[in-house]
Amino acid sequence: MTPQLPAIHEIWVYLSGSPLLALILTLAAYQAGVMAYERFDRNPLANPVAIAIALVAAVITAIDMPYAKYFEGAQFVHFLLGTATVALAVPIYKGLEALRGRIVPLLAALLAGGATSIASAVGIAKLMGADAAIIGGFYAKSVTAPIAMGIAERVSVSPTLTAVFAVTTGILGAILVRFVMDAIGMKSWWQRGFAVGVAAHGIGTSRAFSVHPEAGTYASLGMGLHGVLGAVLIPLAVRFLA
Amino acid sequence: MIAGLVQILLFQGLGELVAKFFLPLIPGPVIGLVMLLAWLRIRGSVPASVDLVATAFSQHLGLLFVPAAVGVVMFWPHIRDHALAVAVALVASVVATMAVTALVVRALAKEDPP
Repeated sequence: MTPQLPAIHEIWVYLSGSPLLALILTLAAYQAGVMAYERFDRNPLANPVAIAIALVAAVITAIDMPYAKYFEGAQFVHFLLGTATVALAVPIYKGLEALRGRIVPLLAALLAGGATSIASAVGIAKLMGADAAIIGGFYAKSVTAPIAMGIAERVSVSPTLTAVFAVTTGILGAILVRFVMDAIGMKSWWQRGFAVGVAAHGIGTSRAFSVHPEAGTYASLGMGLHGVLGAVLIPLAVRFLA
Repeated sequence: MIAGLVQILLFQGLGELVAKFFLPLIPGPVIGLVMLLAWLRIRGSVPASVDLVATAFSQHLGLLFVPAAVGVVMFWPHIRDHALAVAVALVASVVATMAVTALVVRALAKEDPP
């Protein structure tokens, strides 16, 4: 064996050709995001997913790695989205108890909220001259990102834009929920929680849990129901309206 | 842990099959979710192994959509050109959605807020 070390660029060529680099990059960026989130006392502005996306995007731009190349490696993480979506059945099952006796107001509110989400975002974006690609990204933005991306694929809009808009919506909802609820004089925790779960899915739900357990339970119920009903109704709505 | 993962993957596979042959408009994993939910209802409890896997996933759900969302680098110039429209639509829409949902649930709920 020759003890000669390979030149650094050879290591680089080897690493960037294997899925390892993209995987390490993705996990390390997410870990950095989680650490920052803890550091800032779980402030919604320091959202770990947003930080991870920004870090990975900055690194692959800096090292000139095409997105397709990055995704080739990161697809192993991406694949688990479907599995994680199926696993959402467990928190929904646990939340079903909370539905008892409140099913009519909650479902009516969910339908009204879901319709408002699409109509307001698409309407405003159209009025302000956004094009079809951007508008398509708004269809499922209030649905939890893994399901939203599945919906986006079914209605042939960009899953990427949908995911980015969904994460942004979650962050905005988590930040704004307090002001909106106070402005309309909403005091009941379960109603506040449900509203943020419907509008701002997972990120809103974790915000709700950190404020009040009852709000959190109803937020996760709102998120879960919106995910399931959204997956059925949004493609139908898009098909009939578009 | 593995037992739970196997069961969840099984439901995912079932969901994909149903989606492919019967319900092409609905994402397969969502059909898998509904079938797993129905099975949990019939069973009356969550098996510990399934619970373990589901908890692990829900704690780090965010990690899983990083790869797709990084695709924003390809859309960046496009989003920048429409930055104002996107920002106004996102903020106004989330505020409206929360307000409408809360107002409807309050209007229809019988009990008084505690």
